[in-house]
Amino acid sequence: MSSESDNTTEPTEYQHDDDGGPQPEKHCGHGRGGMGEEVTRKEDKRFITGRGNYVDDIKKPRMLHCEIVRSPHAHARIEDIDGSRAMALDDVVAVLTADDLLEHGLATMPTLMDDTQDVLVNDKVKFQSQEVAAVIATDRYAAKDGAEKVEVEYDVLDPVIGAEEALEDDAPVIREELDDQDDNHIFDWETGDAEATDAVFDAADVTVEEQMEYQRLHPAPIETCGCVADWDPGDDKMTVHMTSQAPHAHRTLFSQVSGIPEHKVRIVSPDVGGGFGNKVPIYPGYVVAAAASYVLERPVKWVEERSENIQTTGFARDYDMTGELAATENGEIKGVKVDVLADHGAYNAAAQPSKFPAGFFNIFTGSYDIEAAHGSLTAAYTNTAPGGVAYRCSFRVTEAVYLIERMVKVLADELDLDPAEIRRRNFIPSDAFPYESATGWNYDSGDYEKALDKALEMADYDHYREEQQRRIEEDADKLIGIGISSFTEVVGAGPGKQCDIAGIEMFDSADLRVNPTGNAVLRVGVQTQGQGHETTFAQIIAEELGMDVDNIVVEHGDTDTEPYGLGTYGSRSTPVAGAAAAVAARKVRDKAKSIAANELEAAEEDIEWDRESGEFHVAGAPERSITITEIAAGAYMNHPGSEEPGLEATNYYDPPEMTYPFGSYIVIVEVDRETGEVDFEKFVAVDDCGNRINPMIIEGQIHGGLAQGIGTAMMEHVTYDDNGNVTGGDFMNYLLPTAKEIPNFDTGHTVTPSPHHPIGAKGVGESPTVGSPPAIVNAVVDAMSHSGVSHVEMPMTPDAVWEALDEAELTLEPSANVDFAFDTSEEPADD
Amino acid sequence: MKAASFEHHEPTTVEEAVSLLESLDEPTILAGGQSLVPMLRFRLARPDTVIDINGIDSLEYLHEEDGYLRIGALARHADVEDTDVIADRYGSFADAAPLIADPQIRNQGTVVGSMAQADPKGDWGSVLIAHDGEVTARGPDGERTIPVDELFLLPYDTSLMDDELLTEARVPAPVEGEGSAYHKLKRKTGDYAMAGVAARLVLDDDGRIEDAGIGMTAVDITNARAADAEAHLEGERPSADLFEEAGELAAEASNPESDEHGDAGYKERMVDVLTQRALGDAAERAGAVKRRVPQ
Repeated sequence: MSSESDNTTEPTEYQHDDDGGPQPEKHCGHGRGGMGEEVTRKEDKRFITGRGNYVDDIKKPRMLHCEIVRSPHAHARIEDIDGSRAMALDDVVAVLTADDLLEHGLATMPTLMDDTQDVLVNDKVKFQSQEVAAVIATDRYAAKDGAEKVEVEYDVLDPVIGAEEALEDDAPVIREELDDQDDNHIFDWETGDAEATDAVFDAADVTVEEQMEYQRLHPAPIETCGCVADWDPGDDKMTVHMTSQAPHAHRTLFSQVSGIPEHKVRIVSPDVGGGFGNKVPIYPGYVVAAAASYVLERPVKWVEERSENIQTTGFARDYDMTGELAATENGEIKGVKVDVLADHGAYNAAAQPSKFPAGFFNIFTGSYDIEAAHGSLTAAYTNTAPGGVAYRCSFRVTEAVYLIERMVKVLADELDLDPAEIRRRNFIPSDAFPYESATGWNYDSGDYEKALDKALEMADYDHYREEQQRRIEEDADKLIGIGISSFTEVVGAGPGKQCDIAGIEMFDSADLRVNPTGNAVLRVGVQTQGQGHETTFAQIIAEELGMDVDNIVVEHGDTDTEPYGLGTYGSRSTPVAGAAAAVAARKVRDKAKSIAANELEAAEEDIEWDRESGEFHVAGAPERSITITEIAAGAYMNHPGSEEPGLEATNYYDPPEMTYPFGSYIVIVEVDRETGEVDFEKFVAVDDCGNRINPMIIEGQIHGGLAQGIGTAMMEHVTYDDNGNVTGGDFMNYLLPTAKEIPNFDTGHTVTPSPHHPIGAKGVGESPTVGSPPAIVNAVVDAMSHSGVSHVEMPMTPDAVWEALDEAELTLEPSANVDFAFDTSEEPADD
Repeated sequence: MKAASFEHHEPTTVEEAVSLLESLDEPTILAGGQSLVPMLRFRLARPDTVIDINGIDSLEYLHEEDGYLRIGALARHADVEDTDVIADRYGSFADAAPLIADPQIRNQGTVVGSMAQADPKGDWGSVLIAHDGEVTARGPDGERTIPVDELFLLPYDTSLMDDELLTEARVPAPVEGEGSAYHKLKRKTGDYAMAGVAARLVLDDDGRIEDAGIGMTAVDITNARAADAEAHLEGERPSADLFEEAGELAAEASNPESDEHGDAGYKERMVDVLTQRALGDAAERAGAVKRRVPQ
């Protein structure tokens, strides 16, 4: 949100329920699976019994398979492509190149940032493993055999790796095909007030500065990307089953790219094995499969291999950041500055739903009441895969949270203040909400000190501070480090006035239909990749209508049947579609009242809804009550003349503001001074996501996100060599944590409802990925900060930590430290 | 997985496997597939023929016999983890097995297969070196025994003939006063070692080191023996000073390269650390009693 945007919180029509909506920790209590109940996930039965249906499970008659021929070079001009040896193989049906796609206007596609990306390279390869040709064959092995036989002649060019190198004067120009592009610079962006910030820095008692890199990551969902495209020439209709986090938006884009009218395009997102932002963009493979199906009039399946997924689809982060803080000598933060160099890869293809080129990065004032802030950012093209997706976060919030939470630790060390205490001195006070930040964000609600206090208590903070000191004094083999992160997220895009995908405002939708027998179908515009929507959304309806959660089925992911929505990412499902579901249920409840009045032979204005019992009754006569099941029957079998028959409602919800979940994480590590290995001693996560719908699902989300935070901090990195070869492009080199690397998590929560959300909820699925990396890095740094260490770059592999120990003269000479006596089964004697 | 096509043979006896080795053109042997399957998947291996030995029941064993721990070619890493005699008497084996790859791979991968693979980052080669182990190869002319020091030539290259099948790995059963251990440093479960050290000590009645074995993982072109360190230990009583000297000698004998697993200087230092740790555990298991050195 830029500072000039309109940030007033307009209450929506449906903001307040007639009974005030569900209250914190006190929901319907009818025991049928409403708000706050740990309902077992409805979707798990099919997953656990092996009945999930993922894209690669889909088989269609006469289906063909697509394999993509990829460039071994990062930067090269294509001289010639010869597919004749591939075509000579019995099972190969077609070899497609850019020339074939040009005929159908499909040689290029728009990215989500309005850049133009080659579907198949027409002239020049711009990153290793870029799509050069496609082989269509009768089975996947034959397609791969065919791809090996396609002969491509390359004129290899010097690659440009690294944003800093890309912006050097003599760097080869990667995007020379673009008008007016004579360097590798994409855009500059500025936010905040430079003058006011400089003034605050000039007047400050103390300033600190630290450079830190948020390394290139890959979301690495367990299911890679893929699709089955099926052009039906009988109906002139294209059906694409695909790994999509945003099926409706993808339908619109598909229609725009292909020229097939939107009502003749059906996108189905079946079970999806993890998205994490990786499945928001459109990838060339989808377009190639669709084009091949159109040309060959047969279904075509394309499913990536693991290394194709890591090497070519949307990466995340890759921000080189320099942060500065200005403060008083007692630790009151007056100003924050940040300068960023962003590597966007060969195309500007960030999955960026806000109207600002660096998304929500300007939330970098975090949880703190800071007078002045200024940020500047430069983005560059490099010969690496395009990306910059929001990996389990709102776009660029993760980088912002990392910056501010690391800088607070740097400042605490500079001033020799306790990192918990310095946070306390700077938190936005709980009575200051709604709060407008120095960069123009309008925070809905928060109580940061409460969450921190709870985390400190759970972590046994004082004990570990003493233990840390004891080990330093005793020159112990293992040092203790304690890291804190008191983060604030901004999630739940829209509002539509600030957020869009390809111009479509980011509302979301719910369509609720109650059947004559009293059960219901809820169709939502968002889509699930594991978030538990089929349970959580059913609980919202159970809460709002007094129905049993088992009587509600939630459908999602099919554009032919679901209302239009913008998809699931940025923790937006509960803030937006969850709100739509609640509002749709309340519309149904309004109509139910008139039917209840008819059934109970009372005036409609005398009918009351009782959240506790989940029933409607006549005011003053609670024994004259009726349930939603009985009302449903009435709606179809005995409807009052004043109303249409049926019992259903639809809502499209454009949120008035984003929601701002927050939390405090405390990580306690042991650092081995001989090896640099880091062990997690304690990991405390206190989250506040407002009113909680299903605490068990929230806990699961927190656990998963913390695991990803550990991967980020400790091991994940997409690396390139100087020639642009991806050296971290498979799971042998791109390391993901397993259960063995994950410590026990102590989770806790506070509840500060969102004042503008119909059920007071905020998003939560991404808080742990966003909030935990700085806590982990702060902990490792904290173990060494008594010797002057101020930063360790991620991923903090054992050798990187050992280097930091060594520079601080904290490594131990390898030593057995024990002597031995031989055991003769008697008392050990001195030698 | 989309491997290139190959011919798949399933012998049920060692003799049948050996005659296939002799008659087929450059065949590849499939045991657990721990290394071969990923190579097929990346099409880095493109064998015309694969001899799958999983049907040879006579190779499925892991037991003590005639003074040796004998490991048949189809004994899986998981079998090593789950065998009582190993947990009781072979500390280095018991340490190493659960550190290999992940449980799914340990259920498939074999000890003998990793010896034949001769990956310098493999763990079993170091353990066999520390135990002065040997392997048995069967070829058209019968059986021969190869000491582990003569097996590894180069990365992924052994002294096996093309027509020989590795059928067994074995180490002498431990004697009175023997203890062994394995220490490995890795970035995560399933990752290869950044460095690893296997150590074995035999203490005599007087508490002196009668025999020492030290094998090193991932710090040379093959699994490597720290011979100077071994010689330095023999005849001495275990002590902090002695183990520190041995650690330094092992580090000097190592020859690591910088790679994504860490920089060479760091790895060399870690050989020192891991050697001392492995020697410490081995000494304790040999019956020595640890006493902390006053600082």
